[in-house]
Amino acid sequence: MNRRLAVHLSVWIAAAAVMRIVVVPAETCPPVTAGQVRNTIDEALGWIIDNLGDDGRYLYGYDLAADRVSPSYNSARHAGVTMSLYQAYEALGDPAILRAGDRGLSYMLDRITTHDNWAAWSEPGADLPVGANGLLLAGLALRRRATGEPRHDELMGGVARFLVQQQEPSGAIRSYWDRAAEAPVPNVYGPFATGEAAWALVLTGVQLPGEGWLEAGLRTVDYIAAERDRAEGYLARLPDHWAAYALGDVPFEMLDSDRVFLARRLAGYFGMRLRFEAQRTGEGINLWVRWYPGPPAGVGTAGEGIAALHNLAVADAGLGDLRANIEERMVCLAGYMTERQVSAAEAAVLPRPELARGAWFYRGYTQMDGQQHVLSALLGALRVLEGEAA
Amino acid sequence: MNGILLVVAYLGGFNPARARLSVPETDGLRARPGVLAAGSLLAFGAVAALAGWSGPILEALETSPETFRLAAGIMAGLTVALFIVWPRPATEPELAGWKAALWPVAFPRLVTPVIATLALSTGASDGVPGSLIGAAVGLVTVNLVGLVPRRELPDRVLLWAGRMTAVALMITAVFLIVDGIRDV
Repeated sequence: MNRRLAVHLSVWIAAAAVMRIVVVPAETCPPVTAGQVRNTIDEALGWIIDNLGDDGRYLYGYDLAADRVSPSYNSARHAGVTMSLYQAYEALGDPAILRAGDRGLSYMLDRITTHDNWAAWSEPGADLPVGANGLLLAGLALRRRATGEPRHDELMGGVARFLVQQQEPSGAIRSYWDRAAEAPVPNVYGPFATGEAAWALVLTGVQLPGEGWLEAGLRTVDYIAAERDRAEGYLARLPDHWAAYALGDVPFEMLDSDRVFLARRLAGYFGMRLRFEAQRTGEGINLWVRWYPGPPAGVGTAGEGIAALHNLAVADAGLGDLRANIEERMVCLAGYMTERQVSAAEAAVLPRPELARGAWFYRGYTQMDGQQHVLSALLGALRVLEGEAA
Repeated sequence: MNGILLVVAYLGGFNPARARLSVPETDGLRARPGVLAAGSLLAFGAVAALAGWSGPILEALETSPETFRLAAGIMAGLTVALFIVWPRPATEPELAGWKAALWPVAFPRLVTPVIATLALSTGASDGVPGSLIGAAVGLVTVNLVGLVPRRELPDRVLLWAGRMTAVALMITAVFLIVDGIRDV
């Protein structure tokens, strides 16, 4: 009898231990206030702005162990950081952020190509990428929304025309325009460019109504919802935070059931990703079952994706029942990303404090898009925390 | 989880046909009805306690109900494998008299790891009433199957019925895992 009891108890204990360690490690959400998140945002903005070059180029990356600045650069990431600065200006209203965004913008304006009736930018000589131009247009639309200034309206129209001429009748977006052939590169699509273009066109459609941009953006949103993953050969459905942004900015009355279904599916993916991230400590046995805390850009994209969909939850536009969970995930992310950010005190003892302070590192390396995506996610979390405090 | 799946989950977790193979019996090869009923009540109480306190328990474990659904699904999947590979439970020594309701009926036969994780998961996600209805249906079925004398219901039938019930539990396992992944 005692032996059988011991056997059964052993099975229970072993099952509980395996479940706890492998399947459901604790989801750690450090408590955080709106003030702390605002400070985290300011520190991240500091990293971006303080390391911004006179030519409008951002610091790309920094390897802490090697004490080496990355010589690489990437046009989509440049446009993405600029867009994120305009998001931050819209949320916080600090003119210094707007000035920094405009310096990043000037880098792109210096590299604009015009052709037929459209405009687009790229690094000199490179084929024109949809992703970088989608984010340029999204940034310009956010800037217009935040400032009300029409000064870039003509450029917005030009870049929107570039995106639309890259669009196929199905809504698919060809990723590049070939300078030599003077035509879109056929049959090349990107995992992110499609959503970036869709979001930019939706934002522009709202800012410049009556010009057809919203309809063009929705065509691509519907393509993403209905056929993109299968048509472009993805094994699993893409966790596309840019598509989430697009859905978050579609006028609510235009959210039909297919678009809401896409929004719910994306919210589910981001929620799972953020729950998983909260389980990561990067220490002891957890390291073996969950690996290191995720790359900041990866965590941040999930956070900004769910923050974009928060609009639909607040407005009860098909996601009202998910609001509590969405807000819980956003605030949880704010807690652990605040903890993971390099503080001023931590940076002070490092070889080059200015390259580390305010950054998030993944295994000793930080990159501009890490700061960008987490910053955008934290802006959403700040909105939730300020709403709770009010 | 809808009501039907809740019932399927608890039926699959209790697996009445398999449980029937290892509960105290009368000389007439029927399950001892009083002992089986009392053991079922104890199991029902355990489900009620776990489902009722699922919120504080999961909070103490720092686990969201959505993530715990994954754990319940994986536990259900492992249990399905156990049911299929090992369809006849081991014969347990019995406590004398009514104490047999506690051992081996309530524990280890009815209150198992899969029932415990299901109670925590469904209590937190689907509510206590739904969990209790699901558990009640499963336990009533356990008692009904116990009324049938083993000589009229050959072991082979019970073994296969146990396996078929395991397949039903697999459906629940898949649902829980997919739901745990897709939920926010």
